[in-house]
Amino acid sequence: MSRTQKRRVWQSPWGYPEAVAIVGGVLLIGLVLQIAIGSFDFFLLANPVNLLTGLVLFVLSIIIGFSARRSRFARWISGTSMSVTLILSMLVMSIIMGLTPQKGVGMQSDMVLGFDAMTCNWSFVMLYTMTLLSLGAVIFRKFRNLRFKDTPFLLQHFGLWLVLAASGLGYADMERYIMYVSEGETQWRVYGADNEVRELPIAIKLIDFNMEVYSPKLAVVNKETGAVQPESKPEFFQIDEDISRGSIAGVEIEVEEYIHKAVRSADSTYRHVPMPGATPAAKVTAKRDGHSFEGWVCGGNQLQYYMTLPLDETYSVVMTPAEPRKFTSAVEVYAESGTFVEAEIEVNKPLQVDSWKIYQYGYDNAAGSLSSYSSFELVYDAWLPPIYAGVFFMMLGSLHMIVSGRKRIIKKKRDELE
Amino acid sequence: MSWSNFIWFALPSIILWLAAGFSAYFKGVGQKLSHLLSIMGIAVFASFIIAFWLHLERPPMRTMGETRLWYSLFLSSVGYLAYRQWRYPWILSFSTVVATVFVVINLLKPEIHSKSLMPALQSGWFVPHVTSYIISYAMLGAATIGSIIMIARRSTDDNHIFNFIDNMIYVGYGFLMLGLLMGALWAKEAWGHYWSWDPKETWAFVTAAAYLGYIHLRAHGGVKYNSVALWLAPIAFALLLFTWLGVSLLPAASGSVHVY
Repeated sequence: MSRTQKRRVWQSPWGYPEAVAIVGGVLLIGLVLQIAIGSFDFFLLANPVNLLTGLVLFVLSIIIGFSARRSRFARWISGTSMSVTLILSMLVMSIIMGLTPQKGVGMQSDMVLGFDAMTCNWSFVMLYTMTLLSLGAVIFRKFRNLRFKDTPFLLQHFGLWLVLAASGLGYADMERYIMYVSEGETQWRVYGADNEVRELPIAIKLIDFNMEVYSPKLAVVNKETGAVQPESKPEFFQIDEDISRGSIAGVEIEVEEYIHKAVRSADSTYRHVPMPGATPAAKVTAKRDGHSFEGWVCGGNQLQYYMTLPLDETYSVVMTPAEPRKFTSAVEVYAESGTFVEAEIEVNKPLQVDSWKIYQYGYDNAAGSLSSYSSFELVYDAWLPPIYAGVFFMMLGSLHMIVSGRKRIIKKKRDELE
Repeated sequence: MSWSNFIWFALPSIILWLAAGFSAYFKGVGQKLSHLLSIMGIAVFASFIIAFWLHLERPPMRTMGETRLWYSLFLSSVGYLAYRQWRYPWILSFSTVVATVFVVINLLKPEIHSKSLMPALQSGWFVPHVTSYIISYAMLGAATIGSIIMIARRSTDDNHIFNFIDNMIYVGYGFLMLGLLMGALWAKEAWGHYWSWDPKETWAFVTAAAYLGYIHLRAHGGVKYNSVALWLAPIAFALLLFTWLGVSLLPAASGSVHVY
């Protein structure tokens, strides 16, 4: 990474002050543009503009990188003072971004300075472009005198260049839609970010939607307000096979029996029935101030009424709605190309069909496991391969840092001493 | 082993760690003892995490309290390994004190919730993503201790300590980037996009940029910028702490998918 010889060259007039001035100037121009004409429109970059822009940046990087031997300017623009200035400017811009609530990516700003849509902010876009240029030049500068030991350097820098270039330029080409499919139905209409309906060359038939839930929690609530007690710091008791006793809001709780898939009998007790409308239920003993109360509690669902255990006129023990453990859609997917796939889609397990990736998105939250529809997100992103390549290179570079960070630095110290 | 048993592992660990950090200052028997005490403290603490993991039937990495648990473990381990390598007693004592602070926070304000793990978190990426981050946090924490020692001594040319800081930041940054990149790959599988400028992601970017600045300053910046680099290290760590613990407090994070 470092050679003493280079460092001497960097002591020539162009260094940090110039880098700060030029980058500051670019940010200022961005600010003026932002105020004058509003946010940068990302969709101007749609294919083929982004491809051309990428190509121009690439060629400029090559030219600057290879002329670094002769040109002081090229050395400066691909040098440390510029890198550090760009990195720290990026740091400041992203801190502003992190402190300002952001609008959705790609949406126009409501603020004069455009800080609420930072990715479309002219200053940010220009800084990003300049970073790509400088980073690209750094890479090609290495090519003048390439050695095997430069591999980690190239992996780290070229990996980052690929990721920044492909994600920034490719954003305009990405398509994301939501599709709602009822059980038994076949659907190919989707909604875009603008809520416009579109038809896709891909159709999904929902065979079955299935949801599993965790054991619910118990809580003491105020019957009138529904507030979980104590109101200042609500307490919950997680139903758990290993732990059957606990205390919430000054009430001692003991779970005598827990049924994960229960149906209420005529006498208001519950029994195990593994059917679609089943709901978790628990037989609970609650003790407060020497009084003991026993009974069934149940959170209920669309088919079964809930059941609470009253402690007095104000307070009751209730069961919270169970949180989802897993939800799965069994689907058949038909594409115009003739592709047919039968699969199960769940969160973290998307399905790839042709150039589309299909994600489990949601379901009818009010109905929970009884939901009669399932929703999917369909994503098309042609720029993924270069991004994955870049991520892979950066990972190798990071592994190299972990394994040999120390060796490199100690060697550098020796170089300095020589 | 549920959370209510934590104190019976936490207190012995704290006592062992602090005793190790103290005895490291005494040459000879004291330093030998510090190795034994450190290892025992780490072993006691690690055994709780293993038993707690088995009880939860999911990796204990979901809640803030759970990540602090790992931080205490990794910081005490990194501190001990760095002490073995670099022989500075202050590395051991500072890292044990910081590990203790995080244990005490967990005793007073656990923020440990239920066994449930939402579907988006059920992924093979979960454990390597979080582990990689917490290891990097521990190493970068150790580097910060070194930089504060140097700033306090008004020294910018103690190459031995600087070398220690550089190493911790290099390796820590390697883990930081691995954690970030694995997070991006995971996000693509879970949410359909690898980078959404979610507040937590933005702040992770901020942290990475700050350490990247340090690395570039140190790699090529020359002796002139040593003091800038020395100050950048604790500033970067402050940004890291904010990314980890502070982001959920931001109004900008109200819609964040990273707030659990």
